[in-house]
Order: sequence, then structure tokens, then C-alpha cells
Amino acid sequence: MGEILNIDHLSVAIDTPRGQVQAVRDVSFSLSQGETLAIVGESGCGKSILCKSIQRLLPSGGRITGGHIFFGNEDLTEKSERAMTRLRRSAFSMVFQDPMTALNPTMTVGSQIAEAVRLHHGRLPKAEVSRRVLELMDRVGIPEPVLRQHQYPHHFSGGQRQRLVLAMALAGEPAVLFADEPTTALDVTIQAQILDLFRKIQEDLNTATIFVTHDLGVVARIADRVAVMYAGKIVEIGTAEEIFYDPRHPYTKGLLRSLPALSRGKATLPTLPGMPPTLMDPPAGDAFAYRNDQALAIDYEEAPPMFSITPTHAAATWLLDPRAEKNGEEK
Amino acid sequence: MTENLLEISHLTHKFPIDRRESLTALDDVSFTLRRGEIFGLVGESGSGKSTLARCVMNVYRPTAGKILFNGIETTDPRAFRKNRAYLQSARQMIFQDSNSSLDPKWQAWQVIAEPMRLQHVTPKRGSYRAEAEFQMHYVGLDPLYLDKYPPELSGGQRQRLAIARALTMEPELLVADEPIAALDVSIQAQIVNLFRHLQQEHGFTFLFIAHDLSMVEFLCDRVGVLYHGRLVELATAKELYANPLHPYTQALLSAIPVPDPRRERHRVLPEFPDTFPTDGVWTEIGPEHFVLKGENH
Repeated sequence: MGEILNIDHLSVAIDTPRGQVQAVRDVSFSLSQGETLAIVGESGCGKSILCKSIQRLLPSGGRITGGHIFFGNEDLTEKSERAMTRLRRSAFSMVFQDPMTALNPTMTVGSQIAEAVRLHHGRLPKAEVSRRVLELMDRVGIPEPVLRQHQYPHHFSGGQRQRLVLAMALAGEPAVLFADEPTTALDVTIQAQILDLFRKIQEDLNTATIFVTHDLGVVARIADRVAVMYAGKIVEIGTAEEIFYDPRHPYTKGLLRSLPALSRGKATLPTLPGMPPTLMDPPAGDAFAYRNDQALAIDYEEAPPMFSITPTHAAATWLLDPRAEKNGEEK
Repeated sequence: MTENLLEISHLTHKFPIDRRESLTALDDVSFTLRRGEIFGLVGESGSGKSTLARCVMNVYRPTAGKILFNGIETTDPRAFRKNRAYLQSARQMIFQDSNSSLDPKWQAWQVIAEPMRLQHVTPKRGSYRAEAEFQMHYVGLDPLYLDKYPPELSGGQRQRLAIARALTMEPELLVADEPIAALDVSIQAQIVNLFRHLQQEHGFTFLFIAHDLSMVEFLCDRVGVLYHGRLVELATAKELYANPLHPYTQALLSAIPVPDPRRERHRVLPEFPDTFPTDGVWTEIGPEHFVLKGENH
């Protein structure tokens, strides 16, 4: 499995009328072919902005303030807008939360998928385009594509709409698929089916997927690796097993503990006190220190680096510093 | 005082589409809410959960059926008018989106005091502001925020503010329609704990509408499952999650992803049918366990 995406110390700032928001702060990770990386975190932690900045699709006022994005051997931060447009067509695709806003209600779904096919492949004979449309609809599990390609989005259920959006996203045979909360708006029975579809597509096409979600159950089903984001930073990254069975960062631990599935029959759910800081003026040191009952004095002064636990597992907390050994362990 | 705070019997609500057709949002739904319990109502979007909440709150007038609140037939316009002041303060609602359910131009204390102003209640603690401060303390919101406007607060704080507003009239019933769906995981747990606290320490009765089944299991005493406007199963939370009987309940529960990668990845889900049966007879299967039992399931 080759590494196709490498994010190196990426920082993103967004200028707003009320000041500069440091949405992504010094984020590094890599992504290999055929792999699903889940990014989890609370709203406003910068996970969506991170996805957009990798594709250089930042909202106005947003800019990359530092770091590099390597796609293969190319550094995307140095590309011109024109070169990026070309690259976006061939390399990246995105699936959003709400399928209804991603589809055009006045066009048949077949012609929308055909539009995506043509956009990605340039001029193709008509017969070839329609063959690909049917193939894509079949791939995402729409029954009777020959008939249904002439229908409009409102003829489809929520789950099927999300399948159609996925078909459009796959039209360009993307190397990296970005999925931003693609199942949040769906019912649980439908969600399970869409997640399995994502997995199947990944196996069939060997696509790399960055899957943004806040649902840890979804992460457990879909992710090979997990990155936990807090206040614009990746605070912990590792394989799904490492994150779920051996979490090291107090924020990851707190998130996992607050799941109701683990507190059956108890009087209260364990909670993380307080709330996330604003990124307008992020605190010096560890942004999580203010909610962390194990915070050390140094947490308030200096941001912790990533401490490596295994070759695949790393966490940014001073508790992992060898000097903090005594404080690091609970109980 | 009646033992059952809320009795819903044969409730049906139809929305007219045009002169001939109508959409049945609720179809012959019956259940009761006991005093001091948290009753969970689950179902997918479009199953009629919110319609039911609105019928209970007299926002909609149901097409057929009866709702008794503390012995008062709220679906009868005359009985409702006669008891209006009592009903409008004894039942309060908390909405999903605190962004739109709170007036952005009002300061927090004004938001909390509004129900009292509307009902012309003399504040027990001297002033509306003092009353608001007390309620804020009660729901775990720092009185520092008294003069803040809702947009200045975070999602979790706003939801606490909405809860504080609902509590000012010391209601007997709190209807919470997806109150935690818009909140972050770590904040959801805080709000759920607050509901638990309000029930156990202060005896509030809750109708808790949600689609997050694992939260419902944790929080609720009894749970009803709605599907296409029909109540298909009703049991204590423990019983329902251990022994679901209706095919829809079974599908719903098996579809919840478990936060455990080794188990979750290898769990093969059954093929879910596109529709589930909604016919059958309401049958008591075990103690406190009811299910819509058809011939084929």
C-alpha cells in the first residue's frame, strides 16, 4: 500500500470580521491507498476545514499559513489555482452530510451523474457516458438503474440519494474520497447500509477515504485508522484498535467514557467538564488542559509535542513525557 | 392527582395534502405516561414523533383520539379553554435547535422569565432577574451569563438555557423533542445527566423524543417505538433492548453501531426490508411489554 497523501505541519487561519480563527493548527498525518482514516472531534474543532484545506477549497478569508500538503510528490500548497482545478477533477471527491442539497432537484439523477462523468473524463461518446452512468448506479446499489436514471432526486429515499451522491463522487475515480458526516442525516438502519457500501467501494476500487464524523460507533465500523481532533489539533492518532482499546490522550479517554453504551445501568454518564475553547484566541499550551483533571503545570505554558507510543500510535499530551511518568497513569 | 400524568388513547393525526388525499402522521397511538418517569419515544425521521409531541402540547388538534393530561381532556376545546392557564404552565417543551427556539435579541434572564411574564406570575424570589438567576443555577449555568444573548452562548449552554426557561413554571410534564441531537458528544452526556438529575431529585416527568437509541436506553424508564405513525412496540427500556419482538424494533436495535472496532467490523447486518409490517393486534407479551403482533411475525 503506497502512501498517497502526506500532510506536514499544516496550519490554516480564517479571517473573520471578529478576528482571526486558527482553525487548523500544526496538523500532520499521512494516508495510504485503500485506507480509511476517520477524523473525529466536536463541532468547530476544525475537522471540516482540514478536509477543505487539503483540496484547497477554503472559504473566503481562509488561507494556509504554514506547512505542506504532499499528494504523491507534488506539494499542493504551491500549486496555482488552475493546476488545482485540474487536480481536483482527477484526484479528489467529496460527499457531504445532506444529500438533498448536493443534488439538483430539477435534473434527472442520470443526467447529473453523466455531468460528473463528463467533467472528469472530458469528451466521451454518448454511449460510453451512459454505460458509465449505469455502471456507477449499479456499483452504489441502486436497483433497476436503466429505469431509475430518468427519475428526479425527490423520487428517491434519503439513503438512495446518498448513494447517488456517492455515484457522482466516484465518477472521476478519485484517489482520495472525502466524506463529511455522510450518514449523520440518515436513519440508523439506512446508515448501516451506507457504511457497508463505503467499505465495499474501498475494497473494490482501492480508494483512500477521509471520513469525518462525531459518532464513535460509526468510526468503529468503518475506520482503519483514527485521528482525534481537538481545538484545531490532532491530539491522538492511531489504528482503530489502538484508539479504542488503548487511548492515551485524556480527551480521547473522556470521549470514549462518555458513551452511553459503556454506562448501562449506572446513575450518571461520565462527562468531560466544561466545553471546547474558541479558536479565535486559542490558549497557550495544551488547549485541553482546562478540561483535564490530570493537567500538569506545563500544560498551561507549552503545547505538548506528539509522543510516539508505537510506530502507528501517537498522542499529544505531556502525560506521555517520561518525566511525567508518575502522573501519567490513572488509579 | 391521577396516577397517570398523561393518557393518550387512539390518537390519529392526518395532514391534508389536497381535497381528496391526506397523510396519516399518527395512526391509532395509545400509551400512558406515569408520574415521575422518563418515557422515551424513538423512531426514524418521519415516523410521527414530533407530530405526537405537538398534539400533546395542543399545537395540533388531532383528527381523532383523546389526550388526558392530569384528568383534563386537552383535546376537547372547551375543557382546554377552561384550564388554559394551568395547562400552558404545567406542560413545557424543549426543542432540538436552541438556535431558533430562543430569541437572539433577548438576554438570558429575559428568556428565562418570559413564561412567568406571560402567565402574570409574581416572582417568588423578588424579581424576574432573581428568579432567572435561581433557575440558571438549578440547571448548572453560571449566573455570569444572565445578561448574555443566546448567540453568545455555546450549543450546550443554550440548551441549558432552554431547559431553565421550561422549568420556571415548575411544570409537571416536560416534552423534549430531540434535545441533544444537535450537541457534541461530550456535551450530550452533560445534558442527559441533567435530565436524570431533574427526574430523580425533583420528580419531573419527561417525554423524551430521540433517535439516538443508546442514549434512550441509558436515560429512559420505558420506551415506545414509532414506525410510520404506528406504535409498534412498548416496554421498559431494559426489556425492549434485551428482548425486542417487532421486526422493526429488531432492525433498529441491530443497526446501532457498537463503539468496539473488533466486534463492529465483523458484525454482519441482516438485509433490512424496505418496509416493516404495521398491521396486527396490540398484544401484551409479558409484564409491561406490548407489541403490535401480526400473523406473520
